[in-house]
Amino acid sequence: MTLLTFPAPVENEATEILRAEVRTFLAETIATRTPLERAESWNGFDREFSRAMGRRGWLGMTWPKEYGGHERSAFERYVVVEETLAAGAPVAAHWIADRQSGPTLLRHGTEAQKRAILPRIAAGDCVFCIGMSEPDAGSDLAATRTRAERQGDGSWKVNGTKLWTTYGHEADYMILFCRTSGPPADRHKGTSQLLVDMKATPGVTVRPIYDVMGQHHFNEVHFEDAVLPSDALLGTEGQGWAQVMGELAYERSGPERFLSSIQLLIELIGTLQGSESVAAQTAVGRLFSHLVTLRHMSRGVAALLDAGEDPTVHAAIVKDLGATFEQDLPDIARSLVDEEPDLQSTSDFAAVLAYTTMAAPAFSLRGGTREILRGIIARQLGLR
Amino acid sequence: MDDISSILYESAQRLLGDLSERAPTGRALTDEDRAAGWQRIEEMGLPVALVSEGAGGFGLSEADAFRLVRICGRNIVPWPLVETMLANRFAAESGSEPREGPVETLSDLTPGQRETAALARAMQMAGALDAILDMTISHVQERQQFGRALAKFQAVQHSLAILASEVAAGQAAADHAVARRAQGGEGATLAIGIARARIGEACSKATAVAHQLHGAMGYAQEHRLHLYTTSLWKWRDEFGTQVWWTRQVGREVLASGRDAFWPMVTVA
Repeated sequence: MTLLTFPAPVENEATEILRAEVRTFLAETIATRTPLERAESWNGFDREFSRAMGRRGWLGMTWPKEYGGHERSAFERYVVVEETLAAGAPVAAHWIADRQSGPTLLRHGTEAQKRAILPRIAAGDCVFCIGMSEPDAGSDLAATRTRAERQGDGSWKVNGTKLWTTYGHEADYMILFCRTSGPPADRHKGTSQLLVDMKATPGVTVRPIYDVMGQHHFNEVHFEDAVLPSDALLGTEGQGWAQVMGELAYERSGPERFLSSIQLLIELIGTLQGSESVAAQTAVGRLFSHLVTLRHMSRGVAALLDAGEDPTVHAAIVKDLGATFEQDLPDIARSLVDEEPDLQSTSDFAAVLAYTTMAAPAFSLRGGTREILRGIIARQLGLR
Repeated sequence: MDDISSILYESAQRLLGDLSERAPTGRALTDEDRAAGWQRIEEMGLPVALVSEGAGGFGLSEADAFRLVRICGRNIVPWPLVETMLANRFAAESGSEPREGPVETLSDLTPGQRETAALARAMQMAGALDAILDMTISHVQERQQFGRALAKFQAVQHSLAILASEVAAGQAAADHAVARRAQGGEGATLAIGIARARIGEACSKATAVAHQLHGAMGYAQEHRLHLYTTSLWKWRDEFGTQVWWTRQVGREVLASGRDAFWPMVTVA
C-alpha cells in the first residue's frame, strides 16, 4: 500500500542551526514559565511572545517576502513549530493565523487582503479565529446555517452562530465559513468564506464558553444583521467547501497533533529518571518509540506539503494515532507514579497530570473528531 | 542503480509471490517441490542479497537489500530465505564461504549480528503487515453479510482505519531504522529498538483486527491469513523480544533524564 508510505524528511545543516537558535531564544524568553503553564501547550496566549516570534522572522516563514514572509522551507517552519510546542511556549496569539488563516489568505485572498493582513500576521500582531463549527454543524460542517446575503450595495449581511471559537474574544479576524446561496439542503454547494473584522463589525457578539476546567478559550460568536464590506469575500463565491477543506488540511497536519501532552511526558521522565524498574523502562521506551515514530510520520506530511501533494489521508493517520498517544499518556503516567493529581500541588508532576487528564478529552475532538478521521482513512482505502 | 534495483525488486516480487501462492497451506511441501523451489530462489541470487559485492553479493546497498527482505515478508514462502540471507552475510563478514542450501536457524550471534537480524525481522514484519492489510481490504470488499459487503459497515471501516494506521506507523518506524543505519554513526541501535518496539505493537493490533474482520474463515488453516499472523507473532519476539528492545529504549531515555529528553527525540 504505497499510499501509506511517508516520505523521509530532508535533513540539512541549516535546519539544525535554526533549531539551536530557537532553543536559545526560548530558553531566554520563557524561562519563568512553570511546567503547569507549559502544559497548556498551544492554548497559552501572549501577544508579546508572538510579536517576539515575529521579530525573529519565525512567523509566516514560508510566505513570499512581499507579504512579510521569509521564503523559508516547510521544514524550517516545522522546526520552529515543534520546538515552541515542545518547550510549552504560549503560541496561541499567532497559532491559528500562522498555521491556517495566513496560508488560506495567501492562496485565495485578493491582493489588497494579502497586503493588508499577511504582514501583520508575520509580525505576530494579528490574531485569527476559526469560523467553522455551529450549534447544528459540528462534524457535519456542510450543515452550516449561518448565512451571508449580498446587499444591493455589494456588502454582506450575516446572520447565524459559530461555536467553539477558540480565542474568538481576543481575535482580530475570523475566516467565516457560511452559506451564501441556496437552501441548507444544497450542502456543499452555495457556501463561501468571508473575512470578518472581529473588532470593528457591529452585530457581532462574542460570549464565553467555559471548558471542564473552568477555563475560557472557547466562545460562541453570534452574528445578528452584521454587515461586512463588499471586499470581505475570501476566494471564490460558492467555493467555500473546497477552500475550507484545504484550510483543514493545514489544521490537521502539524506536530501539535501529538505534542499536546509532551509536558506530562517530560515530568514523567523527570520523576522516573534513572529508574531501574522494568515496568518504568518498558513504558517509557514504548512512549518514546511512539513519539519518535509519530514525529517521522508528521515530517513526512510536511514533505508531502512541500512537494505539492495532497496530504489529507497521511495527516488523518498522524492525527488519529497522535491523539490516541496524547490521550493515553495520563493513564500510563498514573500507573507508574504513586501521586495524586492536583492542580495546586507543588509537585510539577502532580499538577501537570491533573491538567493533562482534564485537557485530554478534547484531543480527539478538535480539528476533526476521531470518527471523521477514520472515515477519511477508510475512504482512501476504497471502502466508502 | 535505481533501475537495476527496481528490476530486481520486481523479479523478486514475481518469484516469491508465485512461490508463496503455490505453497500448500496446512501440509508440508513435497521433497521434490522443496528442492525445485529453493533452486529458483538460488538462481535469482537472493540468498546472497545481504552480502557485500566484494564477498560475492550483487552490490546492493544494505538499505536496498533490506527492501528485498521486506518483499520476503510480503510473500511468505516455506523456505527460510531471510535466515539464509543473514547466515551468508555473517559468514562473509567472518571470511567464510556462503552456506550451502537453506539455513534454518541462526545461532551464536555477536551483538552486532543480532542487531542486523533484528532489523531484518522488522523489515519482514513491515512486508507481512502490508500483506495482511491488503488481504483484509479484499476480504471485506468481497464478503457479503446482511445483503451488503462488510466494507459498507461503519464499524468495519473504522476497524480497518485502525489497521491501516498501525501498519503505516510500524512501517515508518522500520523504514526509519534502515535509513538511520545507512547514515552510520551513533543512534542506529536506538532506532532499531524504536522500530522493534513500535512495529511489535503494530503487529499485535493489526493481527487482532485482521482476524476479527476475516471472521471464522480466517481462523481456518486452509486460509492464508494465518501464515502471516503466526509468523508475525514469532518474529516480533525474535533477536530480542519486543519487551527487551522496548526496555533498552526506555533505559536509555531514563538514564539521560528530563532535560536531555527532547533533544534526544529530535536526533532519534
